Amino acid sequence: MIVASLISYGQAVVLGLLQGFSELFPISSLGHSVILPKLLGWNIHQNDPYFLSFLVATHLATAIVLFVFFWRDWVRILHGLGRSLRDRGIAADDYDAKLGWLLVVGTIPAGILGLLLEHQLRKIFASPESAAIFLALNGGLLYGAELLRRRAPETDSDDDVRIAKQVGFPQAFGVGAAQALALIPGFSRSGATMGGGLLVGLSNKDAARFAFLLATPIIGAAAVLKLPELFGHQGDGVRGQALVGSLCSAVTAYLAVRFLLRFFETNRLTPFALYCAAAGAVCAAVIPFS
Amino acid sequence: MKIRSPLLAGLAVLAGLALVVLAVVYWAEPAHSLPSWLPGHEAGSGHHHVKHGIASLLVGLALLVFAWFQTGKKQPA
Repeated sequence: MIVASLISYGQAVVLGLLQGFSELFPISSLGHSVILPKLLGWNIHQNDPYFLSFLVATHLATAIVLFVFFWRDWVRILHGLGRSLRDRGIAADDYDAKLGWLLVVGTIPAGILGLLLEHQLRKIFASPESAAIFLALNGGLLYGAELLRRRAPETDSDDDVRIAKQVGFPQAFGVGAAQALALIPGFSRSGATMGGGLLVGLSNKDAARFAFLLATPIIGAAAVLKLPELFGHQGDGVRGQALVGSLCSAVTAYLAVRFLLRFFETNRLTPFALYCAAAGAVCAAVIPFS
Repeated sequence: MKIRSPLLAGLAVLAGLALVVLAVVYWAEPAHSLPSWLPGHEAGSGHHHVKHGIASLLVGLALLVFAWFQTGKKQPA
């Protein structure tokens, strides 16, 4: 069967490992998955149906890891949402409910923009050249967010209370809408949400936490929505590779979220901004000759 | 029970229900059968706009939840 050679198990391992950590690091997983195959001379293209099916599986693995990692938080948040629906309002001291609705408000614009624009944007911007340029711009976006950040006093020891107090619904909507930037390969979803979090006054650590919580439903829903493609004829010949890629993706996603939550306790987005700017510029210069 | 903004809540319910119905229309009808003024209408196309339907359902549900909160008791600050 022809499709059996479309993606090898070795490529699946590399792409799975890459997807898991680049999805959560603010460096654009989509951009890297467009650029890397080109640099390595692999005959894999972003819009090939079998590659989309492969990506669905690795994204689903990332979403499951995030959900499991924040399992206790999600239970509290879902209880909070339930309480607020029952009481038909959010009590002033119910921070779990407030955080839950912030996540809902942040997910809706990204979800709708993703549903309506994903296919068109992917078709227009799927080339490695444009991904490299947007990766460099992503570096500028992260650096700009660090420069323009608002600094609010940290008054609570609980992470989620601080986030719920600091972020209002219009800001959550804005941060959520910024996630749609990630539909363009090269721009990072987590970078956009972390940058947005800094602009509304969150610390790096809280911005990262808010970004990871916001990521779970959107990545999970996008993957579940496309799951039939993996089990349909588009998944023929790549299901085994998708499973291997997903396991690799799950491992690096877990390590990435653990690392980043610690990293952002004392560090900033600046190293990722410099990496994106440098890698984007180098790739933009090298790719036309590769 | 004190309604905070009856007009806003009423409008949200109407728009929410309309969008939920629209979602069902998107899922049930192929693109050529959609009214010509609706986004996604394509003459001769048998494609079902599943994503348009999901987007419509999400916005509809959001409006219904908004109305639900608007008609609830005001929470103490």
